[in-house]
Amino acid sequence: MRLHYGDPQVALGAVFGAIALLLAAAFVVIGTQAGTDVSVERVHRLGYWLRKRWLAFLVAVGVLVFGISLFDLPYPSGASSGRTVVQVTAGQFFWTFAPASVPAGTRVRFDVTSVDVNHGMGLYDPHGHLVGSVQAMPGYHNRLDLTLTEPGRYEVRCFEYCGINHATMFGAFTVTGR
Amino acid sequence: MEAATVRAPAVLHPRAAEFTAAEGALERRVGLLYGATGIALVALMGVLGLVMRLDQGTVIGIPAAWFYRLMTLHGLGMLTGVLVAMMGALWYVLRLVVPLRPGWMLAAWGLIVAGAVAVVVSTLSGFAAGWTFLPPLPFFPAGQWAAWTEIAFFAGLTLVGLGFAVFCLDVVERTTGTYGGLVRTLGLRYLLGREEDAPPPQAIAATVVAIDGLVAGSAGMTIVLGLLGRTYDSRVAFDALVAKNLVYFFGHTVANLTIYLAAGALYVLVPRYAGRAYQTTKPFVAAWMGSFVFILTAYSHHLYMDFVQPTWAEIGSQAVSYAALIPVAVITIYSMTMLVWGSRYRWTLASTLLYLGFAGWAIGGVGAVIDSVIPINFRFHNTVWVVAHFHTYLMMGVVLWSVAFLAHVLERAADATTSPARRAAAIVPVLVGGYGLTATWFVEGILGIPRRYALQPAGTSGYSEVGAGFALLFAVGFGLLLLQLGPLARAGWALRGPLPAAALPAPARNGPPLATPQQLAVAVAASVVALAAFFPQVVHATEASMRYHHLAHAAQFFLGATLGLVLGSLPAVSRRLGERSGLGFAAALGAPTAMMLVMTPGIYEPLERHPVDHFLYHLGMAALGLVSGLGASRLGLVAGRLTYVAAVGMPVMFAAAMKGA
Repeated sequence: MRLHYGDPQVALGAVFGAIALLLAAAFVVIGTQAGTDVSVERVHRLGYWLRKRWLAFLVAVGVLVFGISLFDLPYPSGASSGRTVVQVTAGQFFWTFAPASVPAGTRVRFDVTSVDVNHGMGLYDPHGHLVGSVQAMPGYHNRLDLTLTEPGRYEVRCFEYCGINHATMFGAFTVTGR
Repeated sequence: MEAATVRAPAVLHPRAAEFTAAEGALERRVGLLYGATGIALVALMGVLGLVMRLDQGTVIGIPAAWFYRLMTLHGLGMLTGVLVAMMGALWYVLRLVVPLRPGWMLAAWGLIVAGAVAVVVSTLSGFAAGWTFLPPLPFFPAGQWAAWTEIAFFAGLTLVGLGFAVFCLDVVERTTGTYGGLVRTLGLRYLLGREEDAPPPQAIAATVVAIDGLVAGSAGMTIVLGLLGRTYDSRVAFDALVAKNLVYFFGHTVANLTIYLAAGALYVLVPRYAGRAYQTTKPFVAAWMGSFVFILTAYSHHLYMDFVQPTWAEIGSQAVSYAALIPVAVITIYSMTMLVWGSRYRWTLASTLLYLGFAGWAIGGVGAVIDSVIPINFRFHNTVWVVAHFHTYLMMGVVLWSVAFLAHVLERAADATTSPARRAAAIVPVLVGGYGLTATWFVEGILGIPRRYALQPAGTSGYSEVGAGFALLFAVGFGLLLLQLGPLARAGWALRGPLPAAALPAPARNGPPLATPQQLAVAVAASVVALAAFFPQVVHATEASMRYHHLAHAAQFFLGATLGLVLGSLPAVSRRLGERSGLGFAAALGAPTAMMLVMTPGIYEPLERHPVDHFLYHLGMAALGLVSGLGASRLGLVAGRLTYVAAVGMPVMFAAAMKGA
């Protein structure tokens, strides 16, 4: 399966790229201005005026992003009632899924664990977009709730370094048509 | 503030003479030793990184086993390299105002170099569990490494950690001694308006970094000692979640501290080229108090995708990870741009790299902050996006500052810099190659490529190929940068002459850790409560669980350590024991180390067969505590209390991390 860019990731990459370019431009401008001669008093007057607003801006962005993020946490809430539990077991260097397939639209709860070392379940949709990941930890069960609407083969790759065959530790989970 | 000098060095800004102290021979030699060692490690580890990128791009082919060995070595070696360089930089600027001990710094260097050699031997002989060695991976080698390489790796890591701890303790003891206690040293009395003056910026930064370093180091020591016990007895088992918390609490924090070490030095170095002194202000103190807390509490974002981690810890970590940005963005980086703006900045090799490092820190930091939002991390966790952002602020930030520091020491010695054309010839490929390389990783992260893959997913090796091209370009530029240091070193050597010793205040300390009758009484009361750990019923009850039994050991150690602290703080005893900081430090940390090593089933089981042996074993725990407490009492009020807390905390963390045996 070939990987493809995921929509949220592309949007986030664009945001990062824009901010990075702005910062680079700012450093070019400041570097250019470094050669000029401006009194310390003037730099302090303008600099401190701007710094208060810069602080307010960063705090506002932080509060906004923090608030929005709370509506999209990947953590499970409540019991598994109404969900089909899929037991996911990882080990050097394999994945097992029980059951190995569910009908499209099923509300799934992945119950992920490991029999040996830490692994990570990176789940890709049938088109090769990364849906997300959750860790597989020995002695613990991480539970991930998803509703997979699109039929097809969902590939799983290991997302936590686990030894010599980490890069080829594949698995697959199938979503069938209704 | 640094003392004024008479002569204005030509390489610095003309106005810098007003506030730039002339470093002595010691500062210069230690600076060169640490700078050169750090850069040598960085360069060697960079070559390994280049090999890995070329392999991912299928330009060359190395076996997967070697890829992961090099990956493990590259990670820990690079971190050690920048840590060493930045320790040297901070020492270099702090020694101008605080009487740090050169002997301790040399001991730290020896420990770190010995540790680095052990890690190199271990990894080249097969050990490849990654530098984060998430337990229990080191003990599931899949036929790739021998048990002795595990021992060598963990022993090496312990030595590196000890070297850093020696540095941190020297800093805490001497800064708090010089400025009169922790509250004054951190500038809190100044912040609250109770004093007119505050310590210089580098002293506040160094104290924060050193305390955070000791706390994080104690967590690292704890888990590494548990792992060493596991190499001796395979029945030792870890709680994977607690172990992961300890690994990242240590690993994230120390990696993060390399940047904050650098910040402490930058407050002194950048003004020398800008001709504007950087002084402690109230926002500065407030910012560093924020960083003090944020540095220690942000690590849980490494466990976002471990859903069994308490949700409050995950959400709290998200808040703290963002909050950590505020002091950096509003104070440190922003203030540096204010220093530079309109200053007729003196562009030299060192000052150019100092300035460029801020850009790497800022840009990489944005990538990290984006990734620290939980729903976003769900889509980026352990993808190459992570590799992209940390390389941006480490490779294009701290590594550039490491070269800048060495260049600064050499520029000061030579009182000259290199030609603009030569600088440009090196810096342009460094910038294009470096940001090109990290850009390929950012793009791969968006694509969803996992990190730490020897073999790239089908159809994606082209990104690595392009990345390898940029990496080669960066390597060429970096090589050209290093080549410019040679002529500076030669010019500096030609101008060598006697250097005046820095005019430093006499070493001072703040009295014993327990200074008042009330403090002694509280400690004695705590010891009486801890006696419960010896009650037969309590000891018997804890036998039912390995974790609780280890906790009982920790309580017995606590009893001994507290009594040791009380005893060592008594004026009559304290006078007889003398200062003996070095010995005190060795005892304070050596005792819990020995304690955790003997808490291996293969060692203690034979002692449990007879009740007398068993009792003596428990008594031995308290005796080790006593040694530790007495040792801590030799370190003075602040460093002594801090070491005591770290020493007592280690067995508690150990108990939490052990699942059974």
